[in-house]
Amino acid sequence: MSELKRRLRERSEHYLLQDSMRRLGKDVPGTFKPYDGKDGWFWRRVFVPLYRRVPWTVKRRAMDTLQMTAKGWQPPPRKPGEPWKPPRRQ
Amino acid sequence: MPERLIVIGGGGAGTATATIAKRLNPDLKVTLFTEFPDIAYSPCGIPFVHGREIDNFESLFLSTVERYVEDGLDMRMETTVTDIDLDRGTVTARNTHEGFDKLAICTGWVWEKPDVPGSNLPGLHYVKDIRAAMEFDKQLDDMKRVVVFGGTPIGVEMAGNLAHRGLQVDFVDEGPWALSELLDPDVAEPVHESLTKRGVTLRFGTKVEAFLGDERVRAVATSEGELECDAVIVCLHKVPSAQLAEAAGVKVGTTGAIMVDERMRTSKPNVWAAGDVVEVPHGLSMLPIRGLTGSHAYAQGRVAAFNIAGQDLTYDPVWIPWGMVAGDYTIGGFSIGETLATAMGVPYVVAKGVGVSRARYYPGATRTHVKLLAEPDTRKLIGAQIHGGEGVKERADFLAFAAKRGATLDDLAWMENIYSPPIGALFEPIAIAAQNGLASLREKAAA
Repeated sequence: MSELKRRLRERSEHYLLQDSMRRLGKDVPGTFKPYDGKDGWFWRRVFVPLYRRVPWTVKRRAMDTLQMTAKGWQPPPRKPGEPWKPPRRQ
Repeated sequence: MPERLIVIGGGGAGTATATIAKRLNPDLKVTLFTEFPDIAYSPCGIPFVHGREIDNFESLFLSTVERYVEDGLDMRMETTVTDIDLDRGTVTARNTHEGFDKLAICTGWVWEKPDVPGSNLPGLHYVKDIRAAMEFDKQLDDMKRVVVFGGTPIGVEMAGNLAHRGLQVDFVDEGPWALSELLDPDVAEPVHESLTKRGVTLRFGTKVEAFLGDERVRAVATSEGELECDAVIVCLHKVPSAQLAEAAGVKVGTTGAIMVDERMRTSKPNVWAAGDVVEVPHGLSMLPIRGLTGSHAYAQGRVAAFNIAGQDLTYDPVWIPWGMVAGDYTIGGFSIGETLATAMGVPYVVAKGVGVSRARYYPGATRTHVKLLAEPDTRKLIGAQIHGGEGVKERADFLAFAAKRGATLDDLAWMENIYSPPIGALFEPIAIAAQNGLASLREKAAA
């Protein structure tokens, strides 16, 4: 099971990154055309488009359910209180 | 009988664990095993010695084996641990068994090997071990052309430094820009420009298909043709050396590294792990990640040592400030950029700004480009990328800390900053970026 999860994570990250690079690199000067391998049909054609449609909050919950997130950790609260705000504009 | 601690691994995490545990509990009998003949040097400095920015390899050593022995450690140099038996509480090295009460696994990482024909040919070099680097450095004197394979941070450093030394460098990676798994394309642009200016030939979007040669590599076959070379420097991904731990029944996570809790405890009692062999959660997503920096390894070793010594210390999820010199540029950031955020599907807004590192009129002032990523609803900071000359590192460190504490674009837009012409401009580039971001959000809301 852990090997399967490892493989799932490695493959999904690889193809999601490739897709992201294609989107963001388009028309940026100085970047190259990414290498276009023919492998990973399922990941490129099915997984990536599906993943992109799912909202982040749902994805986060799914990662928790699949126990992909870390256990035994208590992140410090990211709630410093009300941030200071500039004087209200007239 | 004193309690016995065995530490496996002599890198940043291993030496930190061993020395700090001993300092906190002088009664502890600490034995450190390392397969290498050297200890306490900075492997991160190796590319800069090759590039002749640093005079010699000896400067990279921070301490000596004798010094550790003087501090009371039992140092087992060039001694590979081949087995861990957690039921009996022993490790095996050189066919003898050593007992322990507590164990720290700090076995680090190895380079990913290219999965193409010819990858066992002599002439493929991996930057890690200082003695191998010393030998390679002598060979470099007789070389004219090298291929750097892998657009990772070490790849960028090696390409830039070897070009600086006067070698003809082909820099090859499948990704469409340098550091494409980390860096955004707009930040990569000046890196490309700077490397090209140094004489590096960039061959991105190019797949390595084979290494060619009979007794030694003489060329690299790529999707774009053959590249002749005298050597190849392979700079792919770091792979955690977790096999020994996994074979002993210690749990390994989704990254292939050892799972630890915030006290650096593994899944087995009285066994800790730290450094590049462990995975720790990212502060934003809580997804485990691995392959961080030397400062992370040292800090994790410190946390392990405190807990081994009976004190209570926890390690926080990481926000990963990073920075490096790429050609003549400094780049840096923390957490995620747009490339990773888009890949993960994390919603974000961007705030960009450009400022100067000193007063505009003061000699040596450089432009500092800041890009901040924030959550659209709360405006909390979730990532940044910075490029410029001086001050990139300090800004990346500050932003990572600010994000960890939940700072928002509003906080940063109105942050205080030092104005002193030789060291700081009137307007802080981070504040400029945050103010631009807020203005753009206001415009969008009004539209």
